[in-house]
Amino acid sequence: MKLIIPFAFLFFVLTSCQKEKITIGTNVSETFYLDNNGASMRLLVEGNTSSHTFLLFVHGGPGSSSYFYNTDYISQNVENKYAVVYWDQRNAGGSQGNSNGDQLNLPQMTEDLKKVIQLIKYRYGQNSNIFILGHSFGGLLTASFMTTGDYQSMVKGWILADGSHNYPLNDTLTRQMLLTVGQQQIALNKNVSGWKTIVDYCNSHTGNFTFEESLQLTAYAEDAETFFDKVKEINLATLIDYDPVQYGWPVTSILFNLSYSSNASFNRDLAITKFSSKLGVVTTPTLLLYGKYDFVCPGGLEEDVFNRINTLDKKIAVSHISGHNIMLQDESFFCKEVNAFIESHR
Amino acid sequence: MRFLKLYLIFVISSCSIHCFSQSADSVRIEKKSLNLSLSYIGSLIYPGASLGVELPVNTIYISKIRKSGKTEDFTKDRFVTVSLSGYHHPAFHDNIYISAGWTMRQTKSHGFMTEFSPEIGLSRTFLGGTTYKVDDNGNVTIKKAAGYYYALVSVGGGIGYDFSKTKQKPFLIFSKFNLIMMFPYNSTIYLRPVMEVGLIYKPMNFLSLIVKSKNRTK
Repeated sequence: MKLIIPFAFLFFVLTSCQKEKITIGTNVSETFYLDNNGASMRLLVEGNTSSHTFLLFVHGGPGSSSYFYNTDYISQNVENKYAVVYWDQRNAGGSQGNSNGDQLNLPQMTEDLKKVIQLIKYRYGQNSNIFILGHSFGGLLTASFMTTGDYQSMVKGWILADGSHNYPLNDTLTRQMLLTVGQQQIALNKNVSGWKTIVDYCNSHTGNFTFEESLQLTAYAEDAETFFDKVKEINLATLIDYDPVQYGWPVTSILFNLSYSSNASFNRDLAITKFSSKLGVVTTPTLLLYGKYDFVCPGGLEEDVFNRINTLDKKIAVSHISGHNIMLQDESFFCKEVNAFIESHR
Repeated sequence: MRFLKLYLIFVISSCSIHCFSQSADSVRIEKKSLNLSLSYIGSLIYPGASLGVELPVNTIYISKIRKSGKTEDFTKDRFVTVSLSGYHHPAFHDNIYISAGWTMRQTKSHGFMTEFSPEIGLSRTFLGGTTYKVDDNGNVTIKKAAGYYYALVSVGGGIGYDFSKTKQKPFLIFSKFNLIMMFPYNSTIYLRPVMEVGLIYKPMNFLSLIVKSKNRTK
């Protein structure tokens, strides 16, 4: 009996953080987890839950994290109006699990996204207005979601921000953009040595890209946007500026999850995945945002989506100073466009 | 194959030299008490605590004569340690882990000590938020005490001061840096650096064990 009391106390202390707490207010910050098929995925809801309107970030990678989108600017300019949901996908960010690599695939992640939305509606009301925003790989995942069954009926709007819905097309467009812009920059005598390497590579790799060629094109695309002074550079130092310690980031979890997911075998399947031909089923209002200097997911992808979705309620907007991370590189443009879209469709 | 044979000969002869050199030492049996340790552990700003027991295995008292002729005395202790530790990382997880290790401690006659300890153990995490399950029909339930079991390996090294050497006080204070590794964590590993600051109480006669000790002069 004497032993049972301290153990019961310890158990109570350890599980007290797991007590359900749902807040409807204007300045909420709540973390909870969705357990699904071997993964416990972290969800952070911040901002104005009393608006009953939720912007759900679907991050890139695979294996990146939603922590990176949680900036002061978004807190002050989006969270004050609506609630923002920062979801760490399986094997990413602060999400946890054991041996769950077998479940790391796009169909499973699409089901995860569906359950995330069901969970938000369970917590904050079935009348919640949900908008999903896919960035980079999140574009592929949201495209999979929007074209599966009637899943799109669960959301009020789809936002693609520097997202990709078609990886083979993505590679073709990245090569074209690198080649065209690279030749122009060489002619202008700007970053000649850097561009020459890229242009030479593009000239010797013309199509039907292998997985390794696709990775190399992405690496060159990431380099390319750093050649333009007007594009704010996003690197490790930028992320350290976020003060990850103060905000409780599980830094090693973020790094090891990123390393595992970005090297996982399912990336080879993703490299041949495309949703262009299925986009005709999308009737949901859609906002397409991209950076003029995004070589990783060039604007041609957004134009492909724009031309194929089956709705008149659609808009393309271009940032003239951003690369692949529009929400970090042109914050005011991003927030203005997203807020206007949500306000007119919630 | 030839390389392997040479390697084995080298290893065996090295060990033999080491063993024979010890045979010249004076070996005796002595009774040593268990030590109890209590420490604050933290990684960056996240707090935790550790409670442990050190079971003495052997002690070597070494006198080293320097070139200058001065004699330097120090003690090498070996312990089997068992500890229960935990930390709280808000919104991520709480982690309770039990570990067993092998501690190698060297203490100089004036009390300064260094130690190194590899450990293995078992960890149980408790997720830092309400955890839900959603079934295929969209029904939502709460999962109680959600978290995971992980195998755990830890290595740590630290410094401290043993007050029993100079001030006849039965305790030592220490500061230690540990790196804990948990697996399988999302099919990979989870690493966590942990700083530890604590106190080891060395009671005179608490569950004493019989251990080997020897004197050695170098």
